[in-house]
Formats: sequence, structure tokens, C-alpha cells
Amino acid sequence: MIKFKNVNKTFKSGRSHTVDALKDIDLSIKEGSVVVLKGASGSGKSSILSLISAISKPTSGEVIVDDKQISKLSDKFSSEYRLNNIGIVFQKYNLVEDITVEQNVILPLIPKNLDSHVVEEKVESVLDMFGIKEYKNSPVKNLSGGEQQRVAIARAYINTPKIIIADEPTANLDEKLSLDFIKIIKDLKGENKTIIIATHDPLFFDLDFVDEYIELKDGCVV
Amino acid sequence: MILSPEILAIYILNFMFLAFALIALYLSLKIYINYDKNSSDTIQYTLERQSYLASTIIKFIFAIKVPLFLFFIFTLDKLSNVLSGAMCGAGVLDATEYGTILISLKILNIYLFAFWLVLNKEDLNQEDKPYIKIKFAFFIGLFVLFLAEILLEYYTFYNFEVDKLVSCCGTLYSASSTSFVSNIFAIDNSIIVSLFYINFSLITFAYVFKSKYVYAISNLTFIVISIVALIMFFGTYIYELPSHHCPFCYLQSDYYYIGYLIYALLFFGTFNGLIVVFKDRFFKLSFISNLLFVVLVSIYVLVYYLKNGVFL
Repeated sequence: MIKFKNVNKTFKSGRSHTVDALKDIDLSIKEGSVVVLKGASGSGKSSILSLISAISKPTSGEVIVDDKQISKLSDKFSSEYRLNNIGIVFQKYNLVEDITVEQNVILPLIPKNLDSHVVEEKVESVLDMFGIKEYKNSPVKNLSGGEQQRVAIARAYINTPKIIIADEPTANLDEKLSLDFIKIIKDLKGENKTIIIATHDPLFFDLDFVDEYIELKDGCVV
Repeated sequence: MILSPEILAIYILNFMFLAFALIALYLSLKIYINYDKNSSDTIQYTLERQSYLASTIIKFIFAIKVPLFLFFIFTLDKLSNVLSGAMCGAGVLDATEYGTILISLKILNIYLFAFWLVLNKEDLNQEDKPYIKIKFAFFIGLFVLFLAEILLEYYTFYNFEVDKLVSCCGTLYSASSTSFVSNIFAIDNSIIVSLFYINFSLITFAYVFKSKYVYAISNLTFIVISIVALIMFFGTYIYELPSHHCPFCYLQSDYYYIGYLIYALLFFGTFNGLIVVFKDRFFKLSFISNLLFVVLVSIYVLVYYLKNGVFL
């Protein structure tokens, strides 16, 4: 369960100018649900995602995940929380282009110091699951946009996180590839993952497997 | 007053330290007064961010303070060429009434700063940061000692007089001296040496049986007993002179700067020995350092005996 209690996030721009990205947000997201955050650019979608993933801290208020107030964690514990609970699919994938698909997918496992055969098994299984096994040894820069996104999803998934976050995941994809992505999300829901997608892509706005739509405008829940 | 390049460098660094320490003090006071770990308002998040800044400043001060202490010792040695009568840092320290207090305070502050770092690490290693108020309260107290050290250092250097004759270490560390240090010469050498090895045996015993409180206390006594034993007994074997007891001369090039290694092992070993109360994993590090210290000083005695067939 993810809970926001009276959360505010303000960014300072210069000495006196401030931007209120989130204003008094109260929301709760049930475990295993798929939630779509809707809203125009600057409405606060990405701010919510970064707070859930403990990349940033609120200006005030509480962000609680599984009864733990993650907004109060120190850097060390924020990193541990992120490593063990969160998988992130970025808008621009954030892959390391000069290394192979396998090396990219392995990255989140490095801090865990797992045995090499365990890592090998996990990678094989994840690459197979997302249909990119044949590109295992290819440099990421040689892949198409849709294939790169699958690598990004595989990387987010490999640690078997409880929460998967996707920030504008289809912004760089055509409609066919976007529908492929939606199918992957639907399949992941079957594994009881909590999935939170920030998007303004209309393809997401009428999906039967989405449990909740949260619309944001000017930092407030509409 | 002497204003050598070394003293000038120390003054400038002290000024910088003071500026940074004042910022850390201001933040520490704010955190100590206002921090409430159960609150989630804007002030708390601001204080948490500021606690990282204050911690970084304090870590920075410590990181510079340790090499600066060695530089301070080096400066004292160098000034002995300027002050009439002084042969090493001991004479320079004795040139003003603040010298002995200053060096004692410097050593104490290094121990306390290092302790603060341990406390800070422990705090950050726990999810609910249980020591956040304690560590900043501790720093507020530490700041007072730090300020006293800076002021004493200023007065010490300010009161140096080139034309005033000062005592050399041979006079200061002798039974005939009237200084406070000379009181230790009333103790028999055999008692000091016995106490030294008994104390180290106790450290070994506590290490083997992982008795952390016995280990910490025996390390505390070991600091004092070791310094006395160095002055009274081991130093004479380093100099190969029965009448020379100076704890500074072996920091000089004539003795291959061996003093720096001796003191580094002693301080490193005993400091880690004190913090085993909080962290068991420092046992090994502390014991190895203490053991190397004991072996090193004992080797001088052994080598002298093997070379000359007698003890001093």
C-alpha cells in the first residue's frame, strides 16, 4: 500500500521564485493495482513518481510505503529501499548504449553481490520473458526504440520489485509499439505487481485492467 | 611574536576552520533545538538536509585536523631552530605557559572529533537516526574545546619571544626539573615497564575474550602508561642515551622520523580500542595497531641489548 498524506513539493528557482509541483496531495494506491497518473506537462506526475521511488523528498507531508515512511529515510536506506522495491522505466530508457543488452539488464543486480550462476539464471529468464533473448550480446545502440524499451523494462523487472514505475513510457514509441508495451503491463499485473504509470498518452485512458486513474492539474489531484 | 610561514599557514587554516565550524555550530544548535523525528513539516525536512551539511563540515574539519596536527608538531620542531635554548618541540612548547595545555587539548580534540565521526556513522547506519540530537549536542560541546584550542594556539604563538632563553628537552625531561612532567621521574623504571606490559597483557586478554568494556578501559589506561613509558624507558633506547627522555626528539630526521609511526600506532590503536564499546569490528584493527606499537618500542630495547650486552 502506498499512501501520500498532505504532501507538498516545492522547487526553488532563483532566490525568491518558487514552483509548487505538488499541493496537499492525499492519495492511496493499493498493492497489486495498476494506476495511471494523467495530466499535462508540469502537473506533478513525475514528482509523485520520484517521491514514491525515494529519489526525492517532499517539502512537507508523509510518503508511506508498506507502513514505512520512506520520505524520512537517509540516503543509504533510500537506496536500499529503491534497490529492493522499485523498478523504474524511464521515458528515454536511460540505458548505457555502448554495452550489451545483458550488461544493461544486470546493472541492478550488481549491488546485491549474487552468485554468478544466479545472475545468469535471472538474466536468461528475464530476457526470455520480454522477448529479447536473441539480442543478449548486442550493444543497446544497435536496437530499435521498441527493443530498447523492452530492455529498459527487463532491467526494471530483474530485481523482482514490488512496485514498477513508468514515466511517459510511450512518449518515444509509435502506436503499435505502445500497444505492445500496454500488453506487457497487463501481463505484469497478473504477477501482483503495483504498477504506476505517468502519461498523457490517450492509449492508456481506457484500459480495462487499470484499477485507478488519478488526474493531476497544477500539482493538485482533480 | 614569531610569524614564520608555518605559523601563518596554521593561522589561516584555523581561521577557515573557525568559519566552517561556526556554520556547523549554528546548524547544530538549530537541529538540537528544533528536530522532532515524528514531525513531517517543512522545517523537519529542512533540518534533515542541513544535518547532512553540518556533518560534512565536521568531517571536513576532522579530515584536515589530523594531518594538521602532524604539521603542528613539525612546526614546533622547526621553531626550535629559532628559540634560543630549544633543541626540539619540547623546548618550544615550554616557551609559553600554554604549550603543554595546547598539545594535550589538541590530542583530546582529535579523539573527540574521531568519536563524533563514529557516532555520526552509527546514526546514519540506522533507519530512524537515533543519535541525531545527541551527535549535534556533542558537537556543540566539542566546539567549545575546539575554540579553546584555536585561542590557545594563537596565544602560544603570539607569546613566543626570540630573545628569551628557553629550556631544552634534556632539562625539561629530567629528574632535576621542577616542571609538572618531572613528577613521573619519582616512579621507578621497573614499575613503569611492568605496568606497560601488564596493561598490554590485559588488552590481549580482553581481545581474546572479546570483553569490550575491559578492552576499552585498558586502552584508556594504556594511552597514559605508554606515554610515560616512552618518556621514562623506551625513549632512552631509541636515543641510546640513558639521560635523554624527550618525547619529541625521535620525531626528527636524526631518528628517521620514527616518532610519527610510534605515536600514530599508539593513537590509532587506542582510539579504536575505545570505540569497541559501540562497534565490535574495531577490535582487530585496534589490537593489531597496539601490538605493532608494543613490538616496535620493544625492538629498540632488544636491539640495544643484543648490540651492547647490557640494558640502560
